[in-house]
Amino acid sequence: MGKDTFHGPLERVDACCWRIPKSYKQGMRVDGLIFTDERLLEQLKQDQAPDQVANVAFLPGIQHASLAMPDIHWGYGFCIGGVCATDPNEGGVISPGGVGYDINCGVRLMRSNLFYRDVKPHLRALVDDLFRNVPTGVGRSGRYSFDKKELRCLLNEGSLYLLGRGLATPSDIEYTEAHGRLDGADPDKLSDRALVRGTDQCGTLGSGNHFLEVQVVDQIFDEVAATAMGLEKDMICVMIHSGSRGLGYQVCDDALASLRNAPKKYGIELPDRQLACAPIASPEGEHYIATMRAAANFAWCNRQLLMQQAREVFASVFGRSWQELQMNLIYDVCHNIAKFEEHAVDGKRKKVWVHRKGATRAFPPEHPEIPAMYRKIGQPVIIPGDMGRASWVLVGQPGSMEKTFGTTCHGAGRAMSRTAAVKDAAGRRIDKELEARGVIARAQSRKGLAEEQPKAYKNVDDVVEVVHRAGLSKKVARMRPIGVIKG
Amino acid sequence: MYETFDHTADLGLRICAPDLNSLFAEAARALFAALVENLDAVKPTRRLDLVVVGEDREYLLFDWLKELLYHFNAEHLLLSRFEVEVRSDGLQGSGWGEPFDPARHELTHEVKAITYHGLLVEQNDDGWLAEVIVDI
Repeated sequence: MGKDTFHGPLERVDACCWRIPKSYKQGMRVDGLIFTDERLLEQLKQDQAPDQVANVAFLPGIQHASLAMPDIHWGYGFCIGGVCATDPNEGGVISPGGVGYDINCGVRLMRSNLFYRDVKPHLRALVDDLFRNVPTGVGRSGRYSFDKKELRCLLNEGSLYLLGRGLATPSDIEYTEAHGRLDGADPDKLSDRALVRGTDQCGTLGSGNHFLEVQVVDQIFDEVAATAMGLEKDMICVMIHSGSRGLGYQVCDDALASLRNAPKKYGIELPDRQLACAPIASPEGEHYIATMRAAANFAWCNRQLLMQQAREVFASVFGRSWQELQMNLIYDVCHNIAKFEEHAVDGKRKKVWVHRKGATRAFPPEHPEIPAMYRKIGQPVIIPGDMGRASWVLVGQPGSMEKTFGTTCHGAGRAMSRTAAVKDAAGRRIDKELEARGVIARAQSRKGLAEEQPKAYKNVDDVVEVVHRAGLSKKVARMRPIGVIKG
Repeated sequence: MYETFDHTADLGLRICAPDLNSLFAEAARALFAALVENLDAVKPTRRLDLVVVGEDREYLLFDWLKELLYHFNAEHLLLSRFEVEVRSDGLQGSGWGEPFDPARHELTHEVKAITYHGLLVEQNDDGWLAEVIVDI
């Protein structure tokens, strides 16, 4: 699938973990560790993703190992599914490529008191209304527009700003990772271009793999955790996958441009320009962190406004307010982010910058950052799959703190390139095929639908099986899609 | 001449041309062909002039495409015809096109950004070759 297959060493550590030893490339500071299994192993050698795991091990100040989750695939710079922690006290760096262009791309899941039997007769109307009312696709403006002063507040305060505007509830804030706000954002450091792209894009879904899905709880694996989240079999939920839109892409772009000379300036040797980075305690590093946090706050507002619009559509289709429909947020997680967290490294507790590039935080039970309601079960983790098969709800487990800096997988991971998926779909109607499987899908672009067809992804069940067995996170519920809107 | 090449999550663009000026013009077309379904349906009614400064050819290609993508994002401007003059210290380029019209244009991809991963501009026996991966 990729330009080259991977021929480097992959040593089996245990049934769920393989190692790329640091002897593989001169300049690697730590080993690479990939969480996978025998079945997924062959697939991951088909492109350059393992090589990217090795490249990340070059970053100064990297701790323990360069990690990858089982949904690993070839990215740019970092692989998708990559995790890297750096220690500022050991010359650690921050790398915008370790977060990605779509800063705080993430997923949220909202429940309801509707069941499949209630929604089935109205499904087509519901999906059509969602598609009409929730802005999707390239270049679509949202119905919310924020002037410069408002945008500044939003970038500073994150979801809390929307609470003040009556567009979020205290419970929405409670059940969002980091309460929908990273401290230390500095909107004044954003370029005019980033701000321009932010004015009318908050509350828009975007394109590519972003989606809004109506899902049904298909199977419960952990009754206690499911009950704590208010999930029951056959219940209707809404899953939203989007990020920081053009504003975030611009922040990353601006940072990478300002970092072009940083490796030379700070004497950092890198095998790939896309890994550009700067010491955390440097003007360039601090600038990126302040703007990245602002973009992360924007992304939480974006998902919040997308959820609000979905709630309104449900209310209009079912003739009851969203509060009556009990459309409550279960949890919101980010999967493209860098956060300053406390972890144990070689038996010593220290604060490190954890880069998660297509990977999800998965804190175990009793972690102080988990909402009280979930303290006993662990942090909810939302794993979107493909639009024909399934998505998952998991909870964080102690193994994540021991092995992966509190992290698990983020999705199914692509199995087919976009071009291959389009070729594969030639002469087929993906929307009709999905309909035959009981899924109503609406997309702005037919090509987009072909690229995102179920076959283009690994089976998310296989990916989840690995993180479950590795003790990173635990299965709670499996959801199947019945309605999909996409860009 | 341009084509796309496989990249798992994103999209690779490979451009060949007899000289550097047409390489940069073709690269711009390859970018817009990734954004819109039928590039030839974009009428050249508006002109955009750009000056990009830089000595490194790979960064110059990156910056040229980045500027074009910004104008598409900020002004929804689709461009289909290009003239570029590459010099030792930068380039001067013009693009012709029109604003996106949903009645006539079908947008296909949201290109989030141009990436540095695998970025390549090189001269070979047939002329010039460029490769660039864009983030979808």
